[in-house]
Amino acid sequence: MNTPAPANPFEQLAYNIALQIQDGMIVYVGTGLPMVGAMLAKKTHAPHITLVYESGGQDPWEGPMPWSVGGAATFRRAPMSMEMALSFAMAANGYVDISFQGAAQIDMYGNLNTHLIGGDFHNFKARLTGSGGGNDLSSLSETFVLVGLQDPSKFPAKLDFMTSPGFLTGGNSRMEAGLLGKGPQSVVTQIGVMDFEPESKRMRIKGLNPYCTTEIAQVCTGFELLVPEKVEEIPAPPADILEVLRTEVDPHKIFIEFPPRVK
Amino acid sequence: MAAKFFYNEEALENLKIADPSILDSLIDHETHRENNLKKSRLKEDKRMSLHDAVAKYVDDGDVVADSGFSYVRTPLQAHFEIWRQGKKNLSYVGSPNTNQSFGIFMGNVTGSHNSYCGAEMRGTDRHFSRAVKSGKTKILSEWSHGSMALGFKAAQYGEPYVASHQLLGTDMVRYNPYVKEVKDPWTGKPVILIPALHPDVCIIHCQQADMYGNGKILGPAVNDIAVAFASRKVIITCEEVVPELSIRFDNSNTVIPFMIVDAVVELPFGCLPGSCPGYYYWSREWWEWCMRIATKDDVCLEDFMKNWVYSCKNQYDFVDRLAKDMGGMAYIDSLRRMQRAEEYLIEDTGVDFTYETVIPKWE
Repeated sequence: MNTPAPANPFEQLAYNIALQIQDGMIVYVGTGLPMVGAMLAKKTHAPHITLVYESGGQDPWEGPMPWSVGGAATFRRAPMSMEMALSFAMAANGYVDISFQGAAQIDMYGNLNTHLIGGDFHNFKARLTGSGGGNDLSSLSETFVLVGLQDPSKFPAKLDFMTSPGFLTGGNSRMEAGLLGKGPQSVVTQIGVMDFEPESKRMRIKGLNPYCTTEIAQVCTGFELLVPEKVEEIPAPPADILEVLRTEVDPHKIFIEFPPRVK
Repeated sequence: MAAKFFYNEEALENLKIADPSILDSLIDHETHRENNLKKSRLKEDKRMSLHDAVAKYVDDGDVVADSGFSYVRTPLQAHFEIWRQGKKNLSYVGSPNTNQSFGIFMGNVTGSHNSYCGAEMRGTDRHFSRAVKSGKTKILSEWSHGSMALGFKAAQYGEPYVASHQLLGTDMVRYNPYVKEVKDPWTGKPVILIPALHPDVCIIHCQQADMYGNGKILGPAVNDIAVAFASRKVIITCEEVVPELSIRFDNSNTVIPFMIVDAVVELPFGCLPGSCPGYYYWSREWWEWCMRIATKDDVCLEDFMKNWVYSCKNQYDFVDRLAKDMGGMAYIDSLRRMQRAEEYLIEDTGVDFTYETVIPKWE
């Protein structure tokens, strides 16, 4: 086999997302790169995971990657599908081990904004979609992973609107608010992987992608990142995993083309 | 007008709602029950045309439920008919409620019980953003999908409210006048009370229904079972009206009982440009035109909506137009084949799913 082209930032991101998933988990997936990461995990190190979707699709038969969380691939020959209220009830009742969230803004405690950017509720630069299932998954899943492209405007000191809870104001505030689950376990971006310091619940660098440094990570962030004594070096995806990603998971390069086709 | 119920004052202020009585009907169980007691008990032929069903059962000022999942088994052609008939002062509620945006643009929809307005990877809806900012539509309440889903479930079960773990600790509770944070009387921990939600009218697309309104849903039902029970007026649109006996012989997937249904409309292709499980795929090109190109500014969107909604008299006009732009009957058939292949109802090898990004032919 020829040496494949090195991973582009989206491919590295998909690989890092995949590594957040352990074999045997029930994984609640949304559209986009988390879907790519989950499919990659299932085809590599975590073949026994079960994928569930917000529209109610459960454990679809292997096939093409869904374009939408309501798409046919999410309920392809599925044993059953669930009503939306039940699909979130599964998370509340402890049957969702991990979920993934994208956001327009993420703060140092892993709280999320998918409502608006630049201003307030009535006067903004852009109004966005709203919560969708984001608030539910953040409130109910046992843990979740935040996924995004990191820059100071997307990782601000203060959110323009708090749609979904991470660790709220840090410390024990999430638990005291009555929310379920352990809160976000990590943040996966083009820079690397961050976790949350166990006491303060503040965002902390865990590992950096190849060619990234703590200085680059800090420059890309609108608040101070905690830096542990030892920062892990995240490896580039091995050739065989890249091959699976490019030929089996996203062969039409819908999500992993860089720069992206649309936008 | 004085409101009938007690709302969260902070949220009313944050949302700038001067007259909270506009919030009443969505949580008014009393009028829901009164309405249902007056419905015909007879198992009678409820078939009518889409035009007549919309004219008779969608009234100005109604809270309309967006059903299905944005573009999955959503009777978009029925919503197009609502807007064509010029119904006014509607509010939309639904999880998701992507399609409110087009009704807002057409001037029919002036209120939003919002959960999610957009089309995932097709992009955020720039028109919705402009409409909220300019006040063309007013956000009446902010929801997450799961919390709204519980409101519909409470209504289906005839309960006044449910307690949930969602929305806690976030700005959501400060922008939703309906929900209330209280202490769980057993544990003393904070929970959110979500009232039963009763839309005035819903249109649910079933793959099959009989003439009385017994309806089957294939694929994810999303919120539609709960929404059908929760709503005062229920219109069923369907791909096929089947004999009652066919439903009696195989009652799997029957989720809507005839007695709650007001009208049955046979509406093949009723979900296009969205998909219908078992029947046809969504038109990816249409959605890309719509979200990425047409929502760019009001002139583009006007042109787009004129072409696809106002100047079509029914769903067949729409299908003809789509076929003409996309390659004729072969395109329409490819939608059927792609849907059935992705569901693995037919052999999927050999079915072509490749997709080319749309280059706009007209702006």
